[in-house]
Amino acid sequence: MGFLNIDNVIKHYHDVEVLKRINIEISQGDFLVLVGPSGCGKSTLLNMIAGLDEITDGDIWINGKQMKGVHPSKRDIAMVFQSYALYPNMTVAQNISFGLEMRKVSKPERETAVSRVSKMLQIEPLLNRKPSQLSGGQRQRVAMGRALVRDPQVFLFDEPLSNLDAKLRVDMRTEIKLLHQRLDATIVYVTHDQIEAMTLATKIAVMNGGVVQQFGTPEEIYDNPVNTFVAGFMGSPSMNLVPAKVIKVEGRLSYQIETKNAGEPLLLPVGRDEMAISKYLDQEITVGLRPETITDPESANHTEGTVHEANLLVDLTEPTGADMYVVTLLGGQEVVGRMRNRAKAAAGENARFAFDVSRNVAFDKASGERIQ
Amino acid sequence: MKQLVDRTPSYLADEKRSDKAIGWMQDQLPKLVLAPSFTVILLFVYGFILWTVYLSFSASRMLPNYEWVGLDQWERLWNTLTWQIALDNLFIFGSLYIVLCMLIGLMLAILLDQKIRVEGGLRTLYLYPMALSFIVTGTAWKWFLNPGLGLERTMHEWGFESFKFDWLIDSEMAIYTVVIAGVWQASGFVMAMFLAGLRGIDNEILKAAQIDGAPAWRIYTRIIIPQLGPVFMSAFVVLVHLAIKSFDLVIALTGGGPGNATELPATFMYSYSFTRNQIGVGASSAVFMLAIIAAIIVPYLYSELKGGRK
Amino acid sequence: MSARSQDRPSQDRLSQDNALRSAIYWRALIYTLLIVIAVIYLAPLFVMVVTSLKSLEEVRLGNMMALPLEITFEPWVKAWGTACLGLDCNGINGYFWNSIKMTVPAVAIGTLLGAFNGYVLTKWRFKGHNIVFGMMLFACFIPFQIVLLPMSQVLGILGLANTTSGLVMVHVVYGLGFTTLFFRNFYEAFPDELVRAAIMDGAKFFTIFWRILLPNSGPIIVVTVIWQFTNIWNDFLFGASFASGESAPITVALNNLVNSSTGVKEYNVHMAAAITAALPTLLVYVVAGRYFVRGLMAGSVKG
Repeated sequence: MGFLNIDNVIKHYHDVEVLKRINIEISQGDFLVLVGPSGCGKSTLLNMIAGLDEITDGDIWINGKQMKGVHPSKRDIAMVFQSYALYPNMTVAQNISFGLEMRKVSKPERETAVSRVSKMLQIEPLLNRKPSQLSGGQRQRVAMGRALVRDPQVFLFDEPLSNLDAKLRVDMRTEIKLLHQRLDATIVYVTHDQIEAMTLATKIAVMNGGVVQQFGTPEEIYDNPVNTFVAGFMGSPSMNLVPAKVIKVEGRLSYQIETKNAGEPLLLPVGRDEMAISKYLDQEITVGLRPETITDPESANHTEGTVHEANLLVDLTEPTGADMYVVTLLGGQEVVGRMRNRAKAAAGENARFAFDVSRNVAFDKASGERIQ
Repeated sequence: MKQLVDRTPSYLADEKRSDKAIGWMQDQLPKLVLAPSFTVILLFVYGFILWTVYLSFSASRMLPNYEWVGLDQWERLWNTLTWQIALDNLFIFGSLYIVLCMLIGLMLAILLDQKIRVEGGLRTLYLYPMALSFIVTGTAWKWFLNPGLGLERTMHEWGFESFKFDWLIDSEMAIYTVVIAGVWQASGFVMAMFLAGLRGIDNEILKAAQIDGAPAWRIYTRIIIPQLGPVFMSAFVVLVHLAIKSFDLVIALTGGGPGNATELPATFMYSYSFTRNQIGVGASSAVFMLAIIAAIIVPYLYSELKGGRK
Repeated sequence: MSARSQDRPSQDRLSQDNALRSAIYWRALIYTLLIVIAVIYLAPLFVMVVTSLKSLEEVRLGNMMALPLEITFEPWVKAWGTACLGLDCNGINGYFWNSIKMTVPAVAIGTLLGAFNGYVLTKWRFKGHNIVFGMMLFACFIPFQIVLLPMSQVLGILGLANTTSGLVMVHVVYGLGFTTLFFRNFYEAFPDELVRAAIMDGAKFFTIFWRILLPNSGPIIVVTVIWQFTNIWNDFLFGASFASGESAPITVALNNLVNSSTGVKEYNVHMAAAITAALPTLLVYVVAGRYFVRGLMAGSVKG
């Protein structure tokens, strides 16, 4: 049994089932990110781990102890809230030590704990300020300090970075990651931002509609999405999901994809999962192409011989500075490719595209499930 | 796991100690805290309402008498001339009071909304009557409108020899003095409500309207005032409520007179219950007052509570 | 193109001048209107103050609006200490203290209970909380005439008729609806996450209230206290119904003084007494009125 074990958890609100049989298990020191669009049930699940929401059925275990019916304050967990939830009437030091005070820790002990945590988070100069006198990033640190000082078995983070501006968000993300590595803490982190999920997690649970769509390491989720939802949700720009037909060309299993170049379809060899995909011969499927696998020939990785080139009409280019996103129409869909900045591609003209077919994935057209 | 604090904190040791009885107490505590207040409301509001309703069907005169007499007291109430006058007066007073308070309140709010330099001070001036007791207001206006010594004589001394203002002792006009004093007292409050409403309107909408070239008065009539619907509603409810409850003001200003010319349901109820030994009639008049207010308040509260949730 | 761009600035300036001038006229008109209305609103208070500082003779012979020829505090002294209410000639000071003894505890108790109720109704919701709140809310709006008769019976049974404690009880009970409404609306907007954070920190029901909610309730406490204070201090109906004798509040005493039919009408004394009765609420209003309006609006516009 894992360190944190979410075992067949179900949640009903009135008659609505918001969580449907959730099973997740992580080990000590894992950084679990629950990611999904709003309303997917991720925050509810976090609140249930915290004990702030009741479990309708199933149970949660932390370090071998059953949590059902255990008061939030007795679960040995700490939580960082989206709004930070700093007590406005207390100073930073009082905010951090309030939890210890409630647990009847003596004053000198409290002071030692506060000073250690504040040193660690570099908020010592702020200790006597009120939350209203702090910037967003400082409040974020204090909120983390309040969790850290308790030294809990599990840290819970509820979208902690969503109220920060873009730059600060990246900085704090790095900081949280460093903190996790330093403390070897077990963390459950809720976000709707898939980049946060990818960068922070050791384990990701992608949720939608009250169901865990996929649970695994960031690499697994990114490279082997189990369905079109996960494929589309993780990654930015998101994976291109294009209708295609599985055919055999010169004895090789290939995807036949319509293009704008009159009557001339794009043929891409199937690069993986050929066994499973061969069962779909002459059928329509959905093929998933990551933008970074669609490039210009010069920046493609030719070493493995999996690159397939084709001429396609460019609809739109979006330079981002580092790269240039190129949009073309495939199978009636806008497909985004990522080329290097000075690639030879211009809107309204044909350009040479390079497809790395080893990374493409196929999904059942009707169910959206992965074919593998 | 690495330790943040050197030793294992002692507070972690005795974490898991649960006492079922205390747990139950903790669970029920919120309800226990609310219970006394709710019980008091149940008894002293709803219980008393039922009690009064019963009294209105009883034979009570000087003392409560719980003998059931059906609609006798109600018949007596509707056959009382003073009650008819009180209802007529309530209609005159109530409609004028509400309309004038709203008009003046809205006008003052719009004027004050023109980036007025001394807005804070003026707001305070318009609002201060609300802080006064109706008794004080009544006393002040009684003196102010005193036919012999008050406004009338002042105007005479200032050269308006023909000025005549004796509404206080004119049984036709006396009810309008109550309206004047009432509007004086409450219009500032209505102004504050409208002002808050005006300030709550999204500035960008107004900017957009200005860019569209709408003149100021049109912005008010077409964009701002239609958005004040909820404020009109709130102000209306508050004013209806104040109008029906009006008691002190009449007592202090006219004492219900001259004769019974300014009698209102509230004063009627009081005098029949406590000085004329007609508890049954008093009770039925009180029930009638409650019914009018409930007819307006209950739908309002219902919609507010419904709409208030998300 | 060039012709238009040449005469455009001058045209603009002309219309700008016009606009500016009419704007100035408008503003002058608005200010005049506002000031005239302010004078009308102030007039009764002015007359009260002026009259209270005149001798009775000057009141009878002079202009109500005129400043006193000779300022005298005699009416104030008389109103406070020796004016006759019926047969009792000890002025209004005893009733003033009655009002204080009634208002202060009633405000304190009512506010505290309202705070607790609002706390439970927003942060510890239970099935049917909305019905409970709806019933308490309706209690704000009942015409008090509906409870007068039963209340006078109950006060008699409890031995609280004609006592200040009885009035305190009455005002606490019938103020509960409003105090609960104020705190409930305020705590409705109070972030749940703070309460959740406190729960996870190990704070219990009362600790959360005393340490987290109450210290952050300044604005609404001000509103509730002012509201309760003015309502209770200014009450006449309950005072007249349940405490007409020695324990009457100041409003009842003032009305008795003004309407006592015996002797000469001493308008100056009446005015001094009326100002005395109004002074505490006016003071509260002037000192803290700003917060009151702000908070009250937040509560009543969005019910």
